[in-house]
Amino acid sequence: MDFVQRKTEDSVVDHFLKEAAEKEIPLVWDRYEGSLPQCGFCETGLNCRDCLQGPCISHPFRDQNKMGVCGKDKDILAVHSFVRLVVQGVLGYLDQLTDFAKSVEAKEGSPKRKQEADKILKEIQSVLGNGNTDVLKRFPKTLIDGWKATGIYPDGIARNLFKVSQKLDGGVGSIEENLLWAFKGALVGCAAQMLQERLKVAVFGDTAPTNTEVNLGVLPKDIPVVLLYGHFSPLLKQKIADVAKGKKVKVMGVCTDPFVGPYNFPPVTNYGSQEIPLMTGAVDLIVTGDQCVNPSLAGLAKIWKTEVIPAEVLNRGDLGSFAKKIVEKAQEAFRSRGEVSRDIPNTKESAVMGFSAKDIDVNKVAKAVADGKIKGIALLAGCNNVKLTQDHEIVSIAGELLKKDVFCVSEGCASVGLAKFGLLNPKKRDVSCGKGLLALLSSLGRNVPAVVDLGSCENSGVTDFLLSLASAGKAPIKECPMVACFPEANRTKAVARAAWTVAMGIPTYFWPFLPVTGSQKTMDALGKFCEEKFGAGLHVITQKMESKEKVDLLLKSLTKNI
Amino acid sequence: MKVIKVDPEKCTQCHTCDLWCGIEIGSTSKEIHSAIHEKPQPVPRVYVEGNNFPLHCRHCEVAPCIDACPNGTMRRDPQTGLVYVYEPTCIACWMCVMVCPFGIIAPSPLIHVAVKCDRCRNMEYPICVDVCPTKALILEEREEGATWYGYAPKRSF
Repeated sequence: MDFVQRKTEDSVVDHFLKEAAEKEIPLVWDRYEGSLPQCGFCETGLNCRDCLQGPCISHPFRDQNKMGVCGKDKDILAVHSFVRLVVQGVLGYLDQLTDFAKSVEAKEGSPKRKQEADKILKEIQSVLGNGNTDVLKRFPKTLIDGWKATGIYPDGIARNLFKVSQKLDGGVGSIEENLLWAFKGALVGCAAQMLQERLKVAVFGDTAPTNTEVNLGVLPKDIPVVLLYGHFSPLLKQKIADVAKGKKVKVMGVCTDPFVGPYNFPPVTNYGSQEIPLMTGAVDLIVTGDQCVNPSLAGLAKIWKTEVIPAEVLNRGDLGSFAKKIVEKAQEAFRSRGEVSRDIPNTKESAVMGFSAKDIDVNKVAKAVADGKIKGIALLAGCNNVKLTQDHEIVSIAGELLKKDVFCVSEGCASVGLAKFGLLNPKKRDVSCGKGLLALLSSLGRNVPAVVDLGSCENSGVTDFLLSLASAGKAPIKECPMVACFPEANRTKAVARAAWTVAMGIPTYFWPFLPVTGSQKTMDALGKFCEEKFGAGLHVITQKMESKEKVDLLLKSLTKNI
Repeated sequence: MKVIKVDPEKCTQCHTCDLWCGIEIGSTSKEIHSAIHEKPQPVPRVYVEGNNFPLHCRHCEVAPCIDACPNGTMRRDPQTGLVYVYEPTCIACWMCVMVCPFGIIAPSPLIHVAVKCDRCRNMEYPICVDVCPTKALILEEREEGATWYGYAPKRSF
């Protein structure tokens, strides 16, 4: 692995990087450089520490050391490191779902559509209990039949996930068998995400595309600020916003779902630079979940006298009083942090975010694809990865795709990255899109930006969009010119996400490469075998590529699909 | 003369040194993801084989490999004192492999020459020392003509 010469594309972050260097404050980039070279065995997936006889490696250059103690060879080790990532990612989605469902069950909020919420809760309970995954029945029949034929149609979270996790323990399953179990697990994650979206709509009502602003400039100077980091129960977020509203406290988000009706939490920054908001001195209190939150925040926050409160703790008590405590603490902190200077850059960008599938007329999209007005559809997802210049890959890839008339949808932190560079600003769409795409976007509405954000990773906007597209196009998803791209992937959730995208028949490209490169057979299985089974592969690319080459690759994959 | 000093207390047997030696010195592609799949497999010059001690060539003062080599292929660099294989003249007789007291010379399956650690004599810094995560390997000056139990060996050339 190399040093990353340019840390970030975001000029605001760059400004604070210089300050951090002067004050010798270690940030994520410094910690990454300090850990180089990273373990080559872990990087290529040739390691295992799933038992106490290990840790084991498969040494690529030593004959006496080709297998783990229990006999896992390099192929199994590599496929297991993929399974491990998927399992952890799926558990992330399930954690989000149970968090939310538990607080709704405990009557912490009053759902807008009580009956619907109760119905979904029941469904969630049965998913967790006896194994009902009815929500997946919304997929086209051909897809479901295909999944059943390969054996990856899930039949319950408990049963499937326990089984997938035990694949790591041993057994004599082949690479393909292991891989299919990983996909089965991933589909459970897909079901969890869909259920969470539905419960969210039932509890908070329908979402609509919302005008918001992103980047550090959104931080206010003269009122207390609470930042919500990562994922935790949306009901707690709503409660915090409820209390804050009456008390002139501003609530904003980082790596969290920005829309919890009726509130929206402007995204201050995205994953890669999540430590930077602290450096402005304008953050009075941080509330964190576990997912997507860097543990470094706790230490860094002390420098600017900011308190960090974890939301996911034992014996938290009821949400209402917890939220009240948070807002009171923020007000107190604002008063006592007077001596900390507030250096807020005035860079911000307006964006329209939070589309859901129903806000886009899929018939028009399907028609534009059929008529050849646009080259295809690209899904952009993933956060930031310190191994790549922050935001550079995703912004340049999206920019090129738009110019080449590819309809781009994005989700999660990818959207925030794109929003920072104006790609989610409808006023700027004219300059960034090709003619065919521009015609489609204008027919979809005046408020539709160049890249359409389909919600955070707590929403299944992308999946729902694909479902309605498939029913509009009357063709299986795998025959549509579609490609998914994770240009700066990072979390295990993204791996699970990529796995179920492949299972739907959408070719998926993943950067940086997954830790499976130690085994040619596993890489082939992810590519060729998946192509046979699902009509699309998960492509692991090890050679260095400029973003232009990556775009060519994506475009090639689009044309191949027609 | 600078040699690699090993601190067994710090070595965790993580095999990072021999992995990177295989990539940087042994492979033709010099890049991890391709080197792994190269056939025949690259030969690392350092051996991590238990007892927390990565074995390198010690560049012995009295070097049996130099003495045993029938045609002067095994040589000592007069400037640095490092022992290396002059590949064009190696006849693959494996005498050096037999006599090395540390077992660090290996027959190369690819080009039929003896391969051994030359302490990366053409590089600024040995790769194993560079990558060792615990700093168990360090580059240190060895005194010229150092004695061993009061016996000053005569250097073989």
